[in-house]
Amino acid sequence: MTEHRVYLDHAATTPLDERVLEAMLPYLSGRRGNPSSLHASGAAAREAVEGARETVAALVGAASGEIIFTGGGTEADNLALLGTARASESARKRHLVVSAVEHAAVRETARYLESSGWEVTHIGVEADGLVDPEELVAALRPDTVIAAVMWANNEVGTVQHVEELAKVCAERGVLFHADAVQAAGRVTIDAGCVPVSTLALSGHKLYGPQGVGAFYVRDGVAFESMVFGGGQERGIRSGTENVAGIVGLGAAAHLAREELDARVRHETRLRDRIIGGATALPGVRLNGHPEERLSNSVHLTVEGVEAEGLVLFLDALGYEVGSGSACASGGHKASPVLLAMGQDEREAFSAIRITTGKDNAAEEIEDFLEAFSTAVTQLRELSPLQIT
Amino acid sequence: MPETYRPEVIDHLVRPRNVGDLDEPVGVGESGDAACGDIARFSVEIEDNVLRDVRYKVYGCAACIAAGSALSELVRGKTLLDAARVSKEDARDALGGPLPAGKEHALTLVLDALHKAFEDHWNRAAGNMLVEGYGGAEADDGKTVVAAMSGGVDSAVTALLLKEAGYQVATVTFRLHDGERGSRSCCSPDTVLFARDTAHRMGLPHFTLNLKDLFQKRVMRDFVGSYEKGRTPNPCVACNAHVKFHAAAFLADGLGFHHVATGHYARVADGAEGPALARAKDAAKDQTYVLWPIPQKLLARTVFPLGDYEKPEVRRIAEERGLAVAYTPESQDICFIPDGNYRKFVRKKVAAEPGEVVDGSGNVLGRHAGVVDFTVGQRRGIGVSAPAPLYVTEIRPRSKQVVVGRRKDLEVHEVHVRDMNWFLAPEEARAVQVRYNGSPVPCEVEELEDGGWIARLAQPVMGVAPGQSAVFYSEDGERVVAGGVVARRGS
Repeated sequence: MTEHRVYLDHAATTPLDERVLEAMLPYLSGRRGNPSSLHASGAAAREAVEGARETVAALVGAASGEIIFTGGGTEADNLALLGTARASESARKRHLVVSAVEHAAVRETARYLESSGWEVTHIGVEADGLVDPEELVAALRPDTVIAAVMWANNEVGTVQHVEELAKVCAERGVLFHADAVQAAGRVTIDAGCVPVSTLALSGHKLYGPQGVGAFYVRDGVAFESMVFGGGQERGIRSGTENVAGIVGLGAAAHLAREELDARVRHETRLRDRIIGGATALPGVRLNGHPEERLSNSVHLTVEGVEAEGLVLFLDALGYEVGSGSACASGGHKASPVLLAMGQDEREAFSAIRITTGKDNAAEEIEDFLEAFSTAVTQLRELSPLQIT
Repeated sequence: MPETYRPEVIDHLVRPRNVGDLDEPVGVGESGDAACGDIARFSVEIEDNVLRDVRYKVYGCAACIAAGSALSELVRGKTLLDAARVSKEDARDALGGPLPAGKEHALTLVLDALHKAFEDHWNRAAGNMLVEGYGGAEADDGKTVVAAMSGGVDSAVTALLLKEAGYQVATVTFRLHDGERGSRSCCSPDTVLFARDTAHRMGLPHFTLNLKDLFQKRVMRDFVGSYEKGRTPNPCVACNAHVKFHAAAFLADGLGFHHVATGHYARVADGAEGPALARAKDAAKDQTYVLWPIPQKLLARTVFPLGDYEKPEVRRIAEERGLAVAYTPESQDICFIPDGNYRKFVRKKVAAEPGEVVDGSGNVLGRHAGVVDFTVGQRRGIGVSAPAPLYVTEIRPRSKQVVVGRRKDLEVHEVHVRDMNWFLAPEEARAVQVRYNGSPVPCEVEELEDGGWIARLAQPVMGVAPGQSAVFYSEDGERVVAGGVVARRGS
């Protein structure tokens, strides 16, 4: 293993920002207090949590009362969907629409609802990963309760036309959930303009800590609790607050909002350099939408090479990238996202994800491209398949 | 099992050995398919049965790439026999131990590709020889043997017994037809892969030979053609006559080996003019009835270790030695028709032409859909109602007539036999067996002017079907004097 390592897998998780750590440290070492306690320590903890709620709310253009903290992005997706589904369902209204490119947190929650009597319609995507609003409209029925389309895809990086999608749902009285785990901090999100009902967020995708997330639920949207206990988080998500984690998420959200434009500018420059350099090699092509994509996301199909070997090869050279979706790459199953985009299994197995971050340097990208070229060339020498 | 790859795997991934394709290989093999995504290719250079050079290519996961590299390193420069002995376990050890869960298929994949390259080498060396028929060269005497290996208990114990008897053993599995279970997928329990694993667990080299063309030409085509001609074929006899033993002898010659062996229940006895086929110790399992066509020249180099064992003993040996094949079921009658429905199989290959069902005097009793649906001695499915059961007594393919009669009309007193294969002198023939599960009937034999032979039976037998074998036994009932094909029933 090489000493110098370059991290290019920010869609899997981002490193904890030092400033975030600094904000968290007091709550991990010495500062005490349960936000529900009446004494001074409790009040201080409450203040810290509510401060974080305000900065998280500000990141997505929400009121702080519309933010519920959770134990992470997956829980946020689960609760947002289940809480609204249970509150709004009736014997004659149990229909859910989800896109074919959702994260497992949404996909599996839909499957759960299906097993408990809901009907689920899956809507496809174009080859670039975009959901066609007309297809969404066509899938909506009088008994549709919720539609869920992720703001930006965690694998290929395509950013959806969420405003339009949310609007067509709002016009028809259908709730709209957007998984904004990848989008938050990279795309401007304004719940004031975009009529989403719920949003899911995660701390460790925006330089905050792992194990903390949040969801937004629009004021007035009926919600039924799924986690029962002491009534914290407006009774929606009981349990003593993860004060340090929430403070970390708050600090991360604050920095993300402050630095959004600079980060996007920097990441986009690196991203486009990778796209340009990598796709200059024969048989390497970009997946997802060429422009409407996350500022930090490059998703490539490398013909004639299976992703696993390429990822491990790059790892041996000191470059850390992802193969497909980080959650799917353990088993030998093709990514449902790529299959939904019309790719075949072999193409899907040849896909890698390179996601830059705010702290990557331009020289690192140049070095990476050199390593990438070496790895692809050598692995292709090994491949019995013809490169078209 | 580790969750991540060992450093050895990463080393082979980043610095793979022997990558590429040889310019002028003597054999190339590919394994894998689109279903599991991975493909491995090996090309080999073999000279004087030494693997001089090997190159590989892989499309697949890191485990496949590393396994191919490690395997190429293990076999390069080895004798062909030692290279064919290298097992999945050897490759696993070379990679530092078990692969992560779900990655063990990589070892199977690359080993199969290498072995297919060996197979290609043998098939190139054979050229048309195997298809046209192979008599075998004279090889030096020695304790070397090529043992045929189907993956079942009998052939596995055969190889084991030979090894324990001090033979140098090489095993071979024949690809005979495409109907073999899972033969198109590298990840399914393919019989070839199973046979290879079995051989490797015994520390024996394993080869495969592709005999599909030969089998098609000498066995399957004849099988279908026989029904069209109103005859009842025996594909096992045809395979023993033209395929299995010839191919084993070909490989033995290629390796400089003397003997060939199979897991048949039979023995080889001494005769006045060379060896004679003889009954097995286990009378119930005796297979001399289907082994009679082995040319004497090939029989001279054939060993049947199971001839001296009872079947339960064979199963016990397999259990004691821990062979995974011990509980495999008995193989079916016709290997290329797994469901046993040979009528359906034949019907798919030939167009049925309807005809008449007649009695012995030529009176038309009914119609039938095609002579291929009938065999002499058949009682069911004749489609004619009669006060007493009717049997097919004769099939006349030219006039498309099926002749039926009473049970006693099936009795014959004479049998005409042709295509004789002699082990002993004709005067030693004392009895003839005309069905696989039948008993020999005392008889006298006489040569006919047309070169065929007639067997005059001491007592009538039922249901003698043209196309089946007639096997003649000596006075002691043990040795096969000769065998042949029933041409027609006599009077």
